[in-house]
Amino acid sequence: MSEALLKVSEVTKSFADVTALSTVTVDFNAGEVVGLVGGNGAGKTTLLRLLCGLYQPSTGTVQGVVDEKPVDIHRMREHVGVVPESTGLYARLTAWENIRYHSRLNGIDDEMSWSRTERFAKLLNFDQDLHRSTRGFSRGMRQKTALLRALSHGPKILLLDEPTGGLDVTSARIVRKLVRKLGDEGGTVIYSTHNLAEAQQVCDRIVIIHNGTIRADGPPSELMAEVNCDDLEGAYVALTEDVARADAPAEEEGRIARAWRRLLTRGGGSVE
Amino acid sequence: MHLSRILIVAKKELVDFIRDWRTVLAMILVPLLIFPAIFIALPLFLQGEAAELSSYELTIEVQGDLPDDLNSHLDGRNLIIIQTDLLTNGTLSEPGIDAERLNSGQGINAILRLRQIDSNASQSWYYAILSDSTDELSLEAKTRTLDAVLKWEEQVINSTLAQNNLTHEEAFDPIHWDGNQNTADVASGGDLAAMGLAMFIPLVVAMWTTTAAIQPSIDLTAGERERGTMEALLCTPTARSDLLFGKWLAVATVACVSVLGQMAGLLFAVNFLVGGGLEAPSISTGGVLLLLLSVILFAVFVVAIELAVAIRAHSVREAGSILGPMVLIFIGPTLFAQFVNLQGIEAWWFVLPVFNITLAMREALMGIYDPLHIILWLSTSLAYATGAIWWASKQFNREDLVESLS
Repeated sequence: MSEALLKVSEVTKSFADVTALSTVTVDFNAGEVVGLVGGNGAGKTTLLRLLCGLYQPSTGTVQGVVDEKPVDIHRMREHVGVVPESTGLYARLTAWENIRYHSRLNGIDDEMSWSRTERFAKLLNFDQDLHRSTRGFSRGMRQKTALLRALSHGPKILLLDEPTGGLDVTSARIVRKLVRKLGDEGGTVIYSTHNLAEAQQVCDRIVIIHNGTIRADGPPSELMAEVNCDDLEGAYVALTEDVARADAPAEEEGRIARAWRRLLTRGGGSVE
Repeated sequence: MHLSRILIVAKKELVDFIRDWRTVLAMILVPLLIFPAIFIALPLFLQGEAAELSSYELTIEVQGDLPDDLNSHLDGRNLIIIQTDLLTNGTLSEPGIDAERLNSGQGINAILRLRQIDSNASQSWYYAILSDSTDELSLEAKTRTLDAVLKWEEQVINSTLAQNNLTHEEAFDPIHWDGNQNTADVASGGDLAAMGLAMFIPLVVAMWTTTAAIQPSIDLTAGERERGTMEALLCTPTARSDLLFGKWLAVATVACVSVLGQMAGLLFAVNFLVGGGLEAPSISTGGVLLLLLSVILFAVFVVAIELAVAIRAHSVREAGSILGPMVLIFIGPTLFAQFVNLQGIEAWWFVLPVFNITLAMREALMGIYDPLHIILWLSTSLAYATGAIWWASKQFNREDLVESLS
């Protein structure tokens, strides 16, 4: 079995009275392309932010593993490349300056960073745009820049938050191809997406997150076999549908709505 | 703390500032040019406007007898004089039907009324000039006429004095200063320049440090949150404290350059106004060092507070609406401290935030070195600056900092 690089144990993450993740336990192993799949607000971004140490778990632990020894997640940052959903580029800098800034903050010298960037930029058909200002870049170009930035310091793990969201077909295809190539070369990629067909195509393993809990975890073929479906979309629906119904909390009536209803129903009237 | 990482962040932020023409305009050019614009360009403009008005040929109507002496003073003032009889018997200032004539634009810009009276002087007159103060040409006609009348009056006074064997000085200036008043002041030109600067510099430093730091503070915190660049930045292995210090260094540098630019502009304007005769301020090396130290500590304090407040804000707009009025918290005490007497000043003034730095700057510029005052303002300013940095650092460790609000 592959060595675990990130270990999430019994993690719950709450924001005020909202629980975004509830008692989540999952390991991410070296050389895997893992898809985090779930609907809006399922907890994918929260889990990714916990994995790169931006959030602290309310309970439980998130740890990295270096040389088979557990380390604090903050010490893993130099081994992690992140592409947030917003891409986060500085508009007054060129693509290369954006990449170089992050490489320097990762402690990588410019020469090494450039050689890595140039290599991946060619794979993304982006090498001609590296010295252009990112102001006015299309969504696809921004995404490619953010990907190159995340790869420039040679991370062991790549965390991608919806990397193909909003991309045209060609750009999305190029990004998927790169992710698959990284996986084939032994890289570890954790990939959050809504797109189940994409997850099936790119990922070795799928983690389905629903309402802050992990509903399923395994290779796409196993998940489909579990519910006797031919495609991942059908498996996803089957694995989350009943749970979604059972878990859906009764919509609580607000104080104003309650007072309004009482007012209207006084004397036998009805809101309906 | 990694100095190299701090410098990487600061360098990137400075490059980012320089590439934004609005920042360069607001932070460098405006402060550099504001005092020359106020002290040089505005007076030059006003002179030009006055010259333009003086080139107009204006018409005045003189009602009553026009004495030759006054006529000679009115001569050469680009005035067309129309002489008529004085019809009013009452007070000369009452316009009567002449108000309508002046308002109706009949070509008369002002009316000079004259009535001679008996007195012991060589001659004595009542006069009044009717004009419309809302009409620029009428006002100009009044100014020229009044100037001629005052010159004539001086001539009449001198003539009356001469008839009594007196000179103007004997009558009006019997006790007068012998020689040049300026030479009697033992303060050197440098001392005077330093005192002048002591009135300006603390105010300029306080106003411009606080206002110059607002926009960059917001841009590097709430702005980054709103644009979504903060999340990617916080994912790097660089410690948050290093990121904060880098940002702080960039904002402080911009604020300091801005303040220095404004001070340079102020000195240039003052020097220009006095015809280049201003001497270099007499400030000792110790005074310069104390001044610089106080400016730096003030900048540390102010920039840290503004960064912390901007970090707490949920959007650029919110940060701006909080930091804008907050400037008054810094400028108010500075303005107040300008009027505190340094002679016999109580030591506790040097403990109060903002007041202490303003008074420290004033003392450094005036060459006052009181060890107790220096220890007090230095230690309290350091404590305030450290506290502000600690608070900013605490804000920068907030978990919600990663969330993009746009």
